Amino acid sequence: MNSLTILVVDDDPVIRRLLEQRLRKAHYGVEVAEDGYQAEKLLQQKRFDIVLTDLMMPGGIGGIEVLEIAKEIDQNTEVVLITAHSSVDSAVEAMKKGAIDYLEKPINFDELFLRIEKIVNVKSLLRNARDIHEAMDATENAASETIQNLEIMTAKLQQRLDMVENELRDDAVDADNRINRALDILAGL
Amino acid sequence: MIKIKPNEIKTVAQYIYDISGIFLDSNKTYLFETRLSSVAEELGCASFSELHTKAKSDRSKNIERKIVDAISTNETLFFRDKGPFELLQHKLLPEIIDARSNASTGLRPNIKIWSAASSTGQELYSIAIVIKELVPDLSRYSFKLMGTDISDNAVAQASYGKYNKFEIERGLPKAQLQRYFTPAGEFWKIKDEIRAMVNFRKLNLMSPFVGLGKFDIIFCRNVAIYFTLNDRKKLFNKIADSLADDGFLVIGSTESLTGVSPRFVPKRHLRSIFYQKK
Repeated sequence: MNSLTILVVDDDPVIRRLLEQRLRKAHYGVEVAEDGYQAEKLLQQKRFDIVLTDLMMPGGIGGIEVLEIAKEIDQNTEVVLITAHSSVDSAVEAMKKGAIDYLEKPINFDELFLRIEKIVNVKSLLRNARDIHEAMDATENAASETIQNLEIMTAKLQQRLDMVENELRDDAVDADNRINRALDILAGL
Repeated sequence: MIKIKPNEIKTVAQYIYDISGIFLDSNKTYLFETRLSSVAEELGCASFSELHTKAKSDRSKNIERKIVDAISTNETLFFRDKGPFELLQHKLLPEIIDARSNASTGLRPNIKIWSAASSTGQELYSIAIVIKELVPDLSRYSFKLMGTDISDNAVAQASYGKYNKFEIERGLPKAQLQRYFTPAGEFWKIKDEIRAMVNFRKLNLMSPFVGLGKFDIIFCRNVAIYFTLNDRKKLFNKIADSLADDGFLVIGSTESLTGVSPRFVPKRHLRSIFYQKK
């Protein structure tokens, strides 16, 4: 069971078909696009966890542009570029622009699956960290409300006690009156 | 990971306390191991006692610095917990600006703010951003924003003002991110206009506060929790000495000064509290 959705973008029908089949067999949810334009349309329609795109494609939208579009639509979509050995430099350039990884042609499927699993792991760690942060925030909010209420209450009590002490120490007033005044202050709590 | 032996805990805990004031409970051995193992390994130490011996005999104090860097926690969020910054924006800054502007001296009002455990700088930069957004004509005032931390590493990072995207995107709205930071690969760097408003330097809160002067607003959040009650008392006493008579103190939202310092009174503003001197 793999709930992960992957968009494959490649102008070569053979590679496209091969990737689609292998990924389907591994139970990933796969969709394919034959060029950047189609990829853009699909990315606007639904969200993908991973986009696997060829770096060099005919037309105005190449792999780098697909990367930029995917990231613009959803920062959480991870993009892996497929590149010819000769264009490794542009792949590194793409990593700087936010691609998570790249693969060299010819595609080694063991390697591809390994990379995908790595992405899945990183994403689940990030999700975990986010969940823990959220749980921590919730706990902290509840605790701070309690602590702050207590803090204000303690300060008020202290203030009253200081007033009571002052009244009780007031030599100018006789004992009965002092006690009565002190009791009045306490009654006001 | 190097394991700490039961007979090493007391010595190592005492050493860490001596150099940083951080009190590590001896039943929290995992804290020693997760935070200090890599330092020990890097120096080729096989045990915590060896690390301790090496650190003590190191005249350059480089090892000590490494240990302090590793043991001090670095909170890494901008606008961590919205409360204090809303408080700053809606209550503390307007009141201080008002109070300092009344003097009919014709001089620019001088307002000093201190982030007492500034870690890698997020809190102080968040304060600077609030000021930038609240005060339309900054040149009419002289704001001095100082951040201090015990870790050299944290101070250096804060001064540089570069943050990775995971650290930054949580807590900081996109509009503010783009207004005050410039992208640099996987990182975002604080813009010079904000960077120029702040200063960072090293300070151990356990040592005397020399030459700091008086502050109008002090943020001392989530650091005293690592100190013993006795050290907390001393710290907030020194903080009271460093705060202007009508100044404001903000502590962590789950912290309390009850039984710690009789010199402060808590006051409520909306969903936050702040402290003033009695």
